[in-house]
Amino acid sequence: MASSAQLHLVGDFNLDTLGRYLAHTALDGAAIDVAPPGPVQAALSAGPPAPDWIGVVWTRAEMISAAFQRALSYEQVDVDDVLAEVEAFASAVARYADRARAVFVTTWVSPPFVRGWGMLDRRPGLGVADLLARMNVALADALRSDSSVFLLDAGRWLTAAGSRGWSQKAWYAAKCPFSPGVLAEAADDIAAAIDGLTGRARRVVVLDLDEVLWGGSVGEAGPLGVRLGGHDHVGEAFVDFQRALKALTRRGVLLAIASKNDEAVALDAIDRHPEMQLRRDDFAAWRIDWRDKAANVAAVLADLNLGAESAVFIDDQAIERERVRSAVPGILVPEWPADPCLFREALGALRCFDAPTITIEDRARAGMAAAERSRRASAAASGTVDEWLQSLDVRVTVEPLDARNLDRATQLLNKTNQMNLSTRRLTAADLSAWAAAPDRLVLTFRVADRFGDSGLTGLVGLQFAGSEARLVDFLLSCRVMGRRVEETMLHVAIAHARRGGAAILTADLIATPRNGPCLEFFKRSGLSSAGATRFTWDTASPYACPAAVTVSEPT
Amino acid sequence: MIPYDRAIAVVYDAIDVVNRQLPAARRLRKAPDTVIVGLGGALDSLGVVNFVLALEERASAVGAKVALLDEDMLLEDSPLRTVDSVSRYLAERMA
Repeated sequence: MASSAQLHLVGDFNLDTLGRYLAHTALDGAAIDVAPPGPVQAALSAGPPAPDWIGVVWTRAEMISAAFQRALSYEQVDVDDVLAEVEAFASAVARYADRARAVFVTTWVSPPFVRGWGMLDRRPGLGVADLLARMNVALADALRSDSSVFLLDAGRWLTAAGSRGWSQKAWYAAKCPFSPGVLAEAADDIAAAIDGLTGRARRVVVLDLDEVLWGGSVGEAGPLGVRLGGHDHVGEAFVDFQRALKALTRRGVLLAIASKNDEAVALDAIDRHPEMQLRRDDFAAWRIDWRDKAANVAAVLADLNLGAESAVFIDDQAIERERVRSAVPGILVPEWPADPCLFREALGALRCFDAPTITIEDRARAGMAAAERSRRASAAASGTVDEWLQSLDVRVTVEPLDARNLDRATQLLNKTNQMNLSTRRLTAADLSAWAAAPDRLVLTFRVADRFGDSGLTGLVGLQFAGSEARLVDFLLSCRVMGRRVEETMLHVAIAHARRGGAAILTADLIATPRNGPCLEFFKRSGLSSAGATRFTWDTASPYACPAAVTVSEPT
Repeated sequence: MIPYDRAIAVVYDAIDVVNRQLPAARRLRKAPDTVIVGLGGALDSLGVVNFVLALEERASAVGAKVALLDEDMLLEDSPLRTVDSVSRYLAERMA
């Protein structure tokens, strides 16, 4: 699918090759506008072509700071002079960011052949490397409070490209000091960051078991006989890979299993093998049986209420990878190395988990998923849906959008697909600005029940105009769908509409390939239909709050 | 492997690099008769520079120290004219 991204590249060297990588590979089809190379202040002052463009600002330290340039020639310079120039640059970037959708700024790097003062180069007040490190920290600090500006690590690109990453020949011939390898790395990272900004980061890794989480076949070797840990480099590699997966859960990524095995035997290994780093509670869902792998992957995603576009599937067998790739469109199935020693590296090379924020909800997501498994088990054991809902003790807390919940609310706005009325995507700054208008109201919804706290999982945006309140945003995380929170949100939205003087609430659903569940909800919600996708409610009548839900709204 | 086969493999590696910078319809074929420089070539001047830089880097990695970014190299009858000609040029220096 062609990318609709629009990027404005601003640099003090030739960024045409980067633009080509972006337009033709990393973000195929993206619109790229490259500002003329040279001092960037003019391009930053002019701003991007339009406010919905994303800026990429890539500069060399010696072009931003004259004092740093002198330091490169071993002149004595005052660190404060250097940092003042960094501050001025950061201010220019911040002003540019006010007119852009988002801005990526690269960190400053030094060519490998610049050895500075040798053994003294890390000495504060003298060393060039020390000064460059301080410049990067000062830049990050100066831009930290701007939620639409992100620093990208050019040092990693240089390392990944190898010893020829910095090319003086490229500088002399094309006025770009970096080899194509560095620029390709940069383009891939920028594309990953844009995926994150637009809510396309992957949220679950579905894993095979044998030869993926451990060596050998658990069915053959038994729960304690698989190759895992011990004085064995391959066993160590599997342990290391499991640790890397566990670390990923702290970024909000879920783990799941789709494996052809005997479930009891496989779970026994997960529960009892002394070297297992991942235990049963680390997995949000699993299908361990002898059925078709693709069907089981789809079933796991259905359990988690996630689409294939949110998932990565890892399997050691090429035939299974191909089966899942073709039968589950949208899922990412990376080619996977045969050597377990390369697994951790292969996982790290996946650039599909980058997110613009990390929230409390992200860090707790794996635990929430375990609670959800318990919830599903309780549903299966309950008599009726109403009895089950009553037993859940669902509690919803309503809060206005504020600085404390802005990051999570923005993340929810940009990631939610299924229960989403308008699927509009905004940066934190844009959402905050939208909500600040006196005729608008944004409410957030936190959901908890007896199995645990699901965190901030719902959002409503209202726009008042005369006697009408328009429901601009109505979105709910798929993790809490079906617990009557949807009806609760309508109850609260209609109460606020009435309180704000509106006689009628209208909701216009903007259909997407994925928000069918939202349309179905509105159809059965009791609101009046006025066309296929327009729904209204006369606020003179309150919209009933579900009996099984307790709502609190701190004043 | 004989030097020509190794050399053309290096050239194909460099083609992989520049193809990521080109629209799908203009990507270079991995074939001996593909034109690199001159009439019928798909690369503009920046594309040629990037191709040569990639080629030098990869040639260096297999022990062939070559400097191809020279004005004479960019003329119509230079070794850079086609995949085949540049592969022969490299093979002589890898032998």
